[in-house]
Amino acid sequence: MNSGLVSTPHLLLGLLATGTMHGYELKRAHDTRLPQARPLAFGQVYATLGRLLRDGLVASTGPERLAGPDRTTYTLTEQGRATLDQWLSSIEPPMPYVSSPLFAKVVVALLVADVDRARAYLVAQRRAHTERLRELTALKTAPSATVDDIVAADYAIAHLDADLRWLHTTLDRVADWHREVHS
Amino acid sequence: MTQLQARGLVKSYGPTPALRGITLDIGPGEIVAVTGPSGCGKSTLLHCLAGILRPDAGEVSWRGHRLDTWSEAARSRLRRTEFGVLFQFGQLVAELTAAENVALPLLLAGTGRRAARTAALTWLERLGVAECADVRPGEMSGGQQQRCATARALVTEPRVLFADEPTGALDTLTGEQVLTQLVRLAREQHTSVVLVTHEPRIAAYADREVVLRDGVIDHTGLGLDAPLAGGSR
Amino acid sequence: MSGATLTRLALAGNRTDAARVALTALSALLATLAGLAAMTVLAIEKPPGDEWAQSEQYTNALLREPGLRGGTAFALVLLAVPVLALAGQSARLGAPGRDRRLAALRLAGATPGQVTRVAMLETGLAALVGTLVGLAVYLGGRELLHRPDANGQLALPTDVLPTVPAMAAVTLGLPVLAAASTALLLRRVATTPLGVFRRAGRTRSPRPWPALLIGIGVLAAALAEPLRQALEGVGTDWIAILFTLGLFAAVMGVVLGTGWLSYAAGWLLHRFARGPATLLAARRLTGDPWSSSRTFAALLASVLIGGGAAAFRAYFQLGQRIEQEENQAAGFGGFVGDGRSFYLNTMDLIDLAVLVAVAIATAGLLVTLVEGIVSRRRAYAALVATGVPRATVGTSILIQVLAPVVPAVLLAVGVGYSIGRVFTGDVTSGGYTQEVCRASVELCQDPATRTQHVEFAVIERVIRTPDVPLEQLALVGGGALLAVLVTVGLGVLFLRANTALEELRTT
Repeated sequence: MNSGLVSTPHLLLGLLATGTMHGYELKRAHDTRLPQARPLAFGQVYATLGRLLRDGLVASTGPERLAGPDRTTYTLTEQGRATLDQWLSSIEPPMPYVSSPLFAKVVVALLVADVDRARAYLVAQRRAHTERLRELTALKTAPSATVDDIVAADYAIAHLDADLRWLHTTLDRVADWHREVHS
Repeated sequence: MTQLQARGLVKSYGPTPALRGITLDIGPGEIVAVTGPSGCGKSTLLHCLAGILRPDAGEVSWRGHRLDTWSEAARSRLRRTEFGVLFQFGQLVAELTAAENVALPLLLAGTGRRAARTAALTWLERLGVAECADVRPGEMSGGQQQRCATARALVTEPRVLFADEPTGALDTLTGEQVLTQLVRLAREQHTSVVLVTHEPRIAAYADREVVLRDGVIDHTGLGLDAPLAGGSR
Repeated sequence: MSGATLTRLALAGNRTDAARVALTALSALLATLAGLAAMTVLAIEKPPGDEWAQSEQYTNALLREPGLRGGTAFALVLLAVPVLALAGQSARLGAPGRDRRLAALRLAGATPGQVTRVAMLETGLAALVGTLVGLAVYLGGRELLHRPDANGQLALPTDVLPTVPAMAAVTLGLPVLAAASTALLLRRVATTPLGVFRRAGRTRSPRPWPALLIGIGVLAAALAEPLRQALEGVGTDWIAILFTLGLFAAVMGVVLGTGWLSYAAGWLLHRFARGPATLLAARRLTGDPWSSSRTFAALLASVLIGGGAAAFRAYFQLGQRIEQEENQAAGFGGFVGDGRSFYLNTMDLIDLAVLVAVAIATAGLLVTLVEGIVSRRRAYAALVATGVPRATVGTSILIQVLAPVVPAVLLAVGVGYSIGRVFTGDVTSGGYTQEVCRASVELCQDPATRTQHVEFAVIERVIRTPDVPLEQLALVGGGALLAVLVTVGLGVLFLRANTALEELRTT
């Protein structure tokens, strides 16, 4: 999919903007809001919170330290809000590099693999894409789906759809090119 | 168990072959997407399966009976009782209101005016366009028209719904909403759906996908039955 | 836009456009011939002598007798009416295609005025070609048919020619009229770059006001004779104009009233009938009730005149019968003239004109009907695909046509007959003293024996009402309906070709 990794610190700042939360609540909020995202480990949440605390972007308001980290709540500071606003107002560079593994693999398959291997790979890849697409569609159209589920599924569906279209177009384009060269 | 079967379907328009031997089974309640590039024969296959067109060769069977040998009248009857048909646009009668359009298949089947209207209103309600009941198609949005057309296709509670690019004329969101309702209602009624589309996104609503290319079924889905062209690049 | 560009754009178009242009030209040709023929008849100079002096150079009584020439010219002009209606109906042929073309011109930057001019020029040029060919045919035919027989008599008035301004008026006037009517029709539609839309306007359902026009028409006809007697001094010309205006009002009343009849028929069908065919027909009737008015205008006008002609014929027949009876009563039984008054000869001619008019109107009807089916072919094909039998679609078209046309034709026949009836009035006979011969004709004519055998008798004044010519009225109305039925039958044949499912292939 798109380039780069998601900035976890900014994501957590964004979630904290909705109100003060425990680390545990933050993790849960992340999983509901971004249901199809790469799962966020507890450890990662606390590590990130530690860094944010250090930089003064969040403040911990937990009085009872003895009760352990689970009891600590976190609040966005003025500085943290400013950092979040800055992040939100800076645009994402639209695909500065084409760096998808799928793209790389198809190009390499067409370039170096023998015909049967390339074919087998492409067919299997298409099947996997199609199946995932169907899965996501089922998820999204289920009566129990929430708006968060649908928005996340939509994002993935749009990208899988784009991948599949690109795959079809590429193969047709290569076939055309081949026909031209060999006729 | 299959209820609709095609065996070796061949159909040409003049010298141009549209189908060159298609064999396909559609089970009860199954939702099958027929995809492929433009001109691959998708719509022709749908028309043959629905008994709208007669194949030049091969056979279409409906619950074990050869459909392609039936008279036009018999196939018409089948289409309005057991089948529902939905196109991209333009299938509503411009002069009739939405409720009358939806009631039309029931009226043809001999249902009384009042009962037909009640059923039509129920279906419009189910598709979320109850407010359009007494409006003519010209005054509705594309999405509302397509919802009415869906209601008309489903009002007879058909066993198979044939949908040819049903969302082709709609924007993404509206198209999805229509399709979601269609698929949900079809599943509730255990109606099979033959869904013709060229979009992978739309085909993903089906249980199974059949890819056509140049009038034959493409099992690779990528036109790779022909020698893979790119290997030597 | 230069003239050349304008002409190029006006001549662009596909096969349907070519068919429309050809039909327009043909209608113009026929109308020119009818107009020129009528003017030629009127150009025959009355020979010196009394009112009854005949133009002896012709073999045909219709041309020889001055009393008949007016009727002859009227019948010829009457023929031009359905021809013009045919032109109007063929203007709608291929209209969707032309509308798309005009919209494309607008999209390319043409102003609404330029688009209107392109359309006007197309119609005008087509009509001009038609009138010029018509003029050539007329002048050529005149030379060819100028064949005096042994007595030096002519079958046709090939010895006279209408004045040059009159001929020019027909040849150039018709194209101008055609172009102007195109501009007028386009005023009702808005040609935007995205397509041609009918301006909303006639969205209200029709009301039965046209009945007033019919009333005015009948009243004008009823007043014509009393007015003539009351205002002895006023020229009969004014009475004729009053009568013609009344007739026109009645025709308009019937034609516009058909809109209301359509609407009412559609409403009733929708209210009481069941079955999908009726439902389709009913909705189409209430949806566009004026389409029936447009479609049947020429036919209804012809039928109305046919009904009037029936009244005139009944009147003249009664007059002739009374004359014969009087002759017999007076003892001149042997003398019955040639058996037919010359009025009846003119009536034959008018009946013939009505027949031709109905035929031409039917052709126009076919054009409109087929055009309607063709423009709806996608919707029809979709219906057939969903399992609606073609027979149901055909039946709906049949009901849609017949539901308004049956009452409309009955109305037209009735109004026509009423106008004819009140205009001609009753036949009065008697009320005078007459010599009656009580012996043989020879004895009565011999002055010597005359007084012994001739008596004077008072013939009582008798007012007799002409019988209602049911047979002829039924013939006019039934004939028109039969023509409509045949036309719809032919139109429905086109349905099969236009519901071919190829129409559904994704556009």
